[in-house]
Amino acid sequence: MRNPYRMLGLVLCLAGGTFAPISYFAIGSVPFTALGLSAIMLGFTSIVLAGTRPPVSPEACELILKTGMQNTAALLEELDLRGKAVYLPSTITGGSPRALIPLADNQDILHIRGKIPARLIVRYGSDPGDMAISVTTAGSMNIDLLETRPGPTSGEIEAAVTYILTGVLDIATSVAVRLTDGTVDVEVKGSRLHYEDVWYYRCLGSPIASIVAAISSEALGRPVRIKDEDYSNGKSRIALEVLSS
Amino acid sequence: MRIYNKYVVFLAVVTCLINTILAFMGEKDIAVYFTVNVIAYLVITLLYVYFNPRARKILNTVGVVFFASFLVIVTLKAVEALSG
Repeated sequence: MRNPYRMLGLVLCLAGGTFAPISYFAIGSVPFTALGLSAIMLGFTSIVLAGTRPPVSPEACELILKTGMQNTAALLEELDLRGKAVYLPSTITGGSPRALIPLADNQDILHIRGKIPARLIVRYGSDPGDMAISVTTAGSMNIDLLETRPGPTSGEIEAAVTYILTGVLDIATSVAVRLTDGTVDVEVKGSRLHYEDVWYYRCLGSPIASIVAAISSEALGRPVRIKDEDYSNGKSRIALEVLSS
Repeated sequence: MRIYNKYVVFLAVVTCLINTILAFMGEKDIAVYFTVNVIAYLVITLLYVYFNPRARKILNTVGVVFFASFLVIVTLKAVEALSG
């Protein structure tokens, strides 16, 4: 019995199922009978919730996430890529959203021209030096979990990010999004994956920032770059720069 | 699983509160307790819109079962009232 919700549910159902008839027929107390019925309702709810937990353990998920991140980090370090990644919406990639990291030193991607093919090394502009590597990030994969594509308003982006971070992944408690001209400011409370000053995070951002960037990019239909990210007082603050496509 | 924990704890606190308040009000009808608890369950479940699709689907199914029981009680009460 490894699932705590199933255990809780069975205990509540058993306790309620015993307590309710005794209270009603033997003691004759209606409030205690109601308490027993409430326990049964709560127990039943816990039992059904137990069945919705993912079959893969959180440890296994962490292992898979770290493996993917370390492989990408090794690639970035080997190619000595230090530029900030640009998150592209599916309208530009023609498939799932991806992130581009410029191959040239000290070069920022400001404009994306045409569709970006689903390859590792891609050309994003007309200049011969406009080359980048295209990678799939944690954020890119989460777009598939959204039921509908969010619209370009701060409310819709906030709802989509909250749904993914608190409801589906359960790695944060709340999200606030502020959309100003060319910038998206996001505040994530109770986040469990913080920013670390490592190569991978400096390029692609933390997994939370990556998810926020991918969703914002998809919602706005424009490329997005993680401008700044910091963690203080239990809150992650992420500033995204919206680029022209 | 913090969102599940919050939901279960919130549901437990609200149902306990409802039962205590109704008991202090001197309510003697078990159907009233059950009906108010079902309404609280439906409202709280509706408030947790950020549950993953699987959880939402199964909780909605449970809600339908509870709502059906609620309708049965309401119908019985209506029949009782009409028949005098």
